[in-house]
Amino acid sequence: MNGEMGCEQVRELAPDLAIGIADGQERDAALRHAATCPECRGLVSELSSVADDLLLLAPSHEPPPGFASRTLAAMTPSSPRPRRWFTRPAIPRATRRHPWMARLAVAASIVVALAVGAGAVYQGTSSDRRLADNYRSVLAQGHGSFFAAAPLQGPTGTLGRVFGYQGQPSWLFATLSRPAAQPEHFNVQLVTRDGRSLSLGEAVLGGTHNTWGSGIPVNITQVTQLRFEAASGQATMVAYLNAHSPWSSG
Amino acid sequence: MGPVVWTLSDEALLAGLGSGDPDAAAAFVDRFQRRVFGMSLSILRDRQAAEEAAQETFVRAWRHASAYDPRRGTVAAWLLTIARNTAINMLPSHRPYPVDPEALLGLQEPQPSKVGDGQLTPVSEPMREALMRLPGEQRRALVLAVFYGYTAREVSELNGTPVGTVKTRIRTALMRLRSELWVRDER
Repeated sequence: MNGEMGCEQVRELAPDLAIGIADGQERDAALRHAATCPECRGLVSELSSVADDLLLLAPSHEPPPGFASRTLAAMTPSSPRPRRWFTRPAIPRATRRHPWMARLAVAASIVVALAVGAGAVYQGTSSDRRLADNYRSVLAQGHGSFFAAAPLQGPTGTLGRVFGYQGQPSWLFATLSRPAAQPEHFNVQLVTRDGRSLSLGEAVLGGTHNTWGSGIPVNITQVTQLRFEAASGQATMVAYLNAHSPWSSG
Repeated sequence: MGPVVWTLSDEALLAGLGSGDPDAAAAFVDRFQRRVFGMSLSILRDRQAAEEAAQETFVRAWRHASAYDPRRGTVAAWLLTIARNTAINMLPSHRPYPVDPEALLGLQEPQPSKVGDGQLTPVSEPMREALMRLPGEQRRALVLAVFYGYTAREVSELNGTPVGTVKTRIRTALMRLRSELWVRDER
């Protein structure tokens, strides 16, 4: 089609234009007409709004953990407008009050890597020294003195694991190996050796949320329990910690 | 991050994203990530590919934030259009894709009044209801065109229906939706 279009033809093509499926020649001719015809332009605009609104019906899905961090980090290297702030990892919304949480996640991943590495190193000769050197190196990075770990128990058995870190800051990090199908809100409580119960805020676990972490205001050796109490009151997960400093004689 | 950023409008957050405000960027991604990922996943049906597409969507939104024109639609529609186009471009050779539009949109399921975006968003219930009132073949053709960018010929090949019939179905469907929604808005 290489001629000019009239209103009737453009009105027929308007839905295709609005959706973006009109072929090139027809589209060009129709748009030329619409540029000079307010009525046809208005119709295309209205239909475009309808098509846009249709997109709002797409279902929401929870993205994988860490999606926001990776996305913000991706908004930088090849950009013509490099921005310092995009290079920093985003902090999950629920934990933004703790600016060191990103470091915490990194450190926790080091714990896991170290544990895996430890298993391999143990197989080899002189493994203990290498492991110890590695362990000291990791601790030095975080001004820490030791790690601790304990299973996270739920009504149906072991649901995950809690890692603890004594350092500056000290923190606890929980990973779920068997998260519930649906996300659930938990109140997180820390119980100390002298019987105090300290709130660590809320956590959302289940579905695709399978990790939680927080700094703690006490020495890790003072912690006896980390409790996740469901807001619904129907489920509680507990990790019993009994950490002792490997550097003390007691 | 100051808590105030979480209450800003979509337009304000997008403006902040474009100007390089870190808090606005984080809040923008947080607010829309579920919808963008949902759109990508609906089209690609692969979580890894959907994550890649969703991430690319936000990068494009950041780079082209200044191109957003509020007179032409909402931020959500603008962003989801980018998400749809990005995902379509990632479909392998854009071959006919077996999809049930009603399953894609969950048309048979009751919808919550709040989506997980951190703020209340208008639920397109009138749109959903109007779509449900369309004859099935019109609805299917329209959804394939709008969400997957199928041309009438591609829908025709997928359904074994003449191209002319498919064109008529798509056009009639969109005109009917426009008619119903505009009549409702003008009451």
